[in-house]
Amino acid sequence: MSVRVHPELRNQLMQFGIGDWNACYHCGTCTAMCPLSEEGFLFPRKKIRLMQMGLKNEIESSVEPWLCYYCGDCTSTCPRDANPGELMMSLRRYLTSIYDWTGLSKKFYTSEVWEIGSILLIAVLVVIAFLIGLPAMGYSFTTELTSQGGVKINSFAPIHIIEAFDWAMAIVVGGLLISNILRMYYKIIWKHGHTKVTFWVHVREFWRLVFNFSVQPKFGKCDDKRYWFSHWFLMSGYTIMFIVVVVFLPWFQTEKILPPWHLQRALGYYATFGLLFGLLVAITGRMRRKDVKFYFSHVSDWLFLVMLTLTVITGILIHIFRIYGMPYATYIFYIIHMAVLVPMILIEVPFSKWSHLAYRPFAVYFQHLKTHAVPRKTKINSIN
Amino acid sequence: MEEPRIGVYVCWCGTNISKMVDVEAVTNEVKALPNVTIAKNYKYMCSDPGQDLIIKDIKLHNLNRVVVAACSPRIHELTFRTACEKAGINPYLFEMANVREQDSWVHTDRTEATNKAIDLVVAAIRRVRYHEPLQKRFVNVNPATLIIGGGISGLTAALEIANAGKQVYLVEKSDQLGGQVKKFDLTFPHLSSAQQMIRPIVQRVDNHPNISVFLETEIREVTGYIGNFKTAISVNGGDPVELEFGNIIAAVGLKPFNPEVISEYNYKEFPDVITSFEFEEKLLAGRILTVYGKEPRNVAIIHCVGSRNKKYHEYCSRVCCMAALKYVHQVRAALPSANIFEIYADMRAYGKGHEEFYALTTHRQIMFLMYDQQKKLPVINQADRSDNCNMIIEMDELLSGQSIEVPVDMVILMVNMEAQENVKQVVRAIGVSLCGNQFFIEKHPKLDPVATTTGGVYIIGTCQGPKDIPDSVAQARAAAARILGAIAQGSVPIEVTTASVNELLCCGCQTCIGVCPYKAISYDENNKVSIVNEILCKGCGTCGSACPAGAIISKHFTDLQILSEIEGVMSMS
Repeated sequence: MSVRVHPELRNQLMQFGIGDWNACYHCGTCTAMCPLSEEGFLFPRKKIRLMQMGLKNEIESSVEPWLCYYCGDCTSTCPRDANPGELMMSLRRYLTSIYDWTGLSKKFYTSEVWEIGSILLIAVLVVIAFLIGLPAMGYSFTTELTSQGGVKINSFAPIHIIEAFDWAMAIVVGGLLISNILRMYYKIIWKHGHTKVTFWVHVREFWRLVFNFSVQPKFGKCDDKRYWFSHWFLMSGYTIMFIVVVVFLPWFQTEKILPPWHLQRALGYYATFGLLFGLLVAITGRMRRKDVKFYFSHVSDWLFLVMLTLTVITGILIHIFRIYGMPYATYIFYIIHMAVLVPMILIEVPFSKWSHLAYRPFAVYFQHLKTHAVPRKTKINSIN
Repeated sequence: MEEPRIGVYVCWCGTNISKMVDVEAVTNEVKALPNVTIAKNYKYMCSDPGQDLIIKDIKLHNLNRVVVAACSPRIHELTFRTACEKAGINPYLFEMANVREQDSWVHTDRTEATNKAIDLVVAAIRRVRYHEPLQKRFVNVNPATLIIGGGISGLTAALEIANAGKQVYLVEKSDQLGGQVKKFDLTFPHLSSAQQMIRPIVQRVDNHPNISVFLETEIREVTGYIGNFKTAISVNGGDPVELEFGNIIAAVGLKPFNPEVISEYNYKEFPDVITSFEFEEKLLAGRILTVYGKEPRNVAIIHCVGSRNKKYHEYCSRVCCMAALKYVHQVRAALPSANIFEIYADMRAYGKGHEEFYALTTHRQIMFLMYDQQKKLPVINQADRSDNCNMIIEMDELLSGQSIEVPVDMVILMVNMEAQENVKQVVRAIGVSLCGNQFFIEKHPKLDPVATTTGGVYIIGTCQGPKDIPDSVAQARAAAARILGAIAQGSVPIEVTTASVNELLCCGCQTCIGVCPYKAISYDENNKVSIVNEILCKGCGTCGSACPAGAIISKHFTDLQILSEIEGVMSMS
């Protein structure tokens, strides 16, 4: 069955990143260099080809872009400066926009006005909620301190309201993400006409999803192991913080000042260090531009780093100001913290760079489903 | 005949010969043979001290024959002949035994190799005894030149020779000068205008006092030999004009391949499937339009049409890849939003600036699609109404492994450069040979690419093989330099080791006339014998071996000389 080439799709794809992929003349050096490319799932060369030819369905059913962790070996060894590493990155952005059914992802990735504008809009709404909404509901600032000398944070940001909002946000974001993952599953596995994957294989291979989410073993296969560590440290910190803030907020946002070795504070410190370390590596890397991995920075890359850094720093400041009994400073930074955190989660997790936290482990899971796919039984014409 | 006094010299060639052949043993073995006056060995016979050794010995020992056992005579025969001449003996009283290429280099057993060397040297000694002195001969060169073909090669050669003050007769089959280049819009890789390049050249040739141009004229027969050729041409069917000239340049050019024979491309079937030559016409006219008068939204360029395919032509046409990239730039400039598809089999960017040109083209929003020339050619089909295009190309794309459909409105076929039709007449007239692809064969593919095996006949441009303008021009100037060199000398040496007919033995069967590749033998009706024109004869020996009466003697290859040589090889074992 032959497929139609789409020259215009290639031009569209160029909007998702930086590169001159037509320069590629298919020597295959990139695929040979890649420590992650494997039989049946070869990249980047094959993906460059699909892009050059604008083969829409073939690109959309590709799992390979998510199996690449961008060590940059392909780009640094490319004899034509065709930048295969950045191509894979751009394909991830493109696929994110394809999995997303709302069409917002494409807008965010291809228009800076849309992305930054939306972030600012949500931030303003958060600020309004704190400055006008909560006071209107009868909650107000208090300079009164607790018996331990700490700030009475729950009277400013009532825990049940914040928690309810957290859950609402988690459900919306989770719902969007899950629907996108289902679309990803449809495009990669379901749509495939000739093969099917049995239910048992789905169950048997499920552990890969959990394992790859928590350890990212593929990232560890890249030559430079330092980045696997800094990424894993950041990611574990982030996950802990996410669980604590969404599921255990009443336990976490307390007015009582617990001893530093208490699990509540210890977990918080671990997460803070993990996030800070990972962010430091990524930000300095992108500023120094020494490694190919960090050489090219899309707006979405910087926005993500800046917002996460702001979230962590304001979080640290809230913690310090609360303990040392500085109510106004605490409240101001709490508002800033939320004004950064909320748009970051709402926009980055389902629509932009942060969605990779789900797509990457699912991609590995789908990869193994594909490996165990069996040919579909062809229908026999029942003429007699 | 005076008693032969032979000097034998065995060369070590450094260790090339001495490693596998015991040169001392060879020297000692032949020392005592009859007629051998002296036998020596030396590290490098071809070096100045080595040659001096021979020259001194000839004078000191009054030698009248010399044998050198060394490398192939192709390499140093001339060196030693010159040395003999310096010492005052005729250069043809010399014989060379090849104990390197035919012995030391190809054997692994030192004893066997040494014995073989002895056999070869003895054969040379036996042979050289019967060598006879031969005299060098020269013929005068007529300073006029005939050039067949008025394309860029012929025009360039004509100007080069005419500017040196020599007469040129330029014969062109068609009704105008300029050849294929006149049909082109731009040239690669600089995208400069072909018209601006060729027009002044044509004008200079037209106005040159030393060039006589004959349009719509064909060469039917050429007689004579190097330095002294003759032909009769008739212009526009008028009275024949007799031309005399000393050298000939064939520059008959090429013919575009006709893609009708490739059924996959449906050329002629679909009016918007056109050849590269037809596309040049569109470019020269200034607009790229389909037969429906519309600008095509999708343009495909198919490479290697008739090239690199055993069904059509196995060879590569060399220029089509770059010409196709040239079209990419031209189509992109004329139709900025068109989709351009380069459907190629291999991209060949071998020349100066070509790879850079290719790299530049990749940045012009082109889709490069590769097909496998050996497995399946792309197929051009009529599109359906719903396809929103004129035609659909179906192909197996090699780099993606996908079977794909390419929407197109216009297809340009990069047709192969074929040898010119009906060249047999010219070929026979000037005495050159054709290769399997009907291109003219040069004297040596590397070392003598513009000369032919016929003295005074040169081949330039695309009649020798597909090539681009710079290569054609380089060949034209090279041939012109060769001819001007011969004219400057005034005379050229001709072959000494020719054949001659013993009229007493000749029975007049004319077998020799049929086998002679140089048209050197004619039949004397009066005496009923064959006669060899010693100026045309190249001494190939074909007639000598074909003659049933043994009437033809090949000088320097007489029966006596060859039989003695064979006896020599057999005598030692």
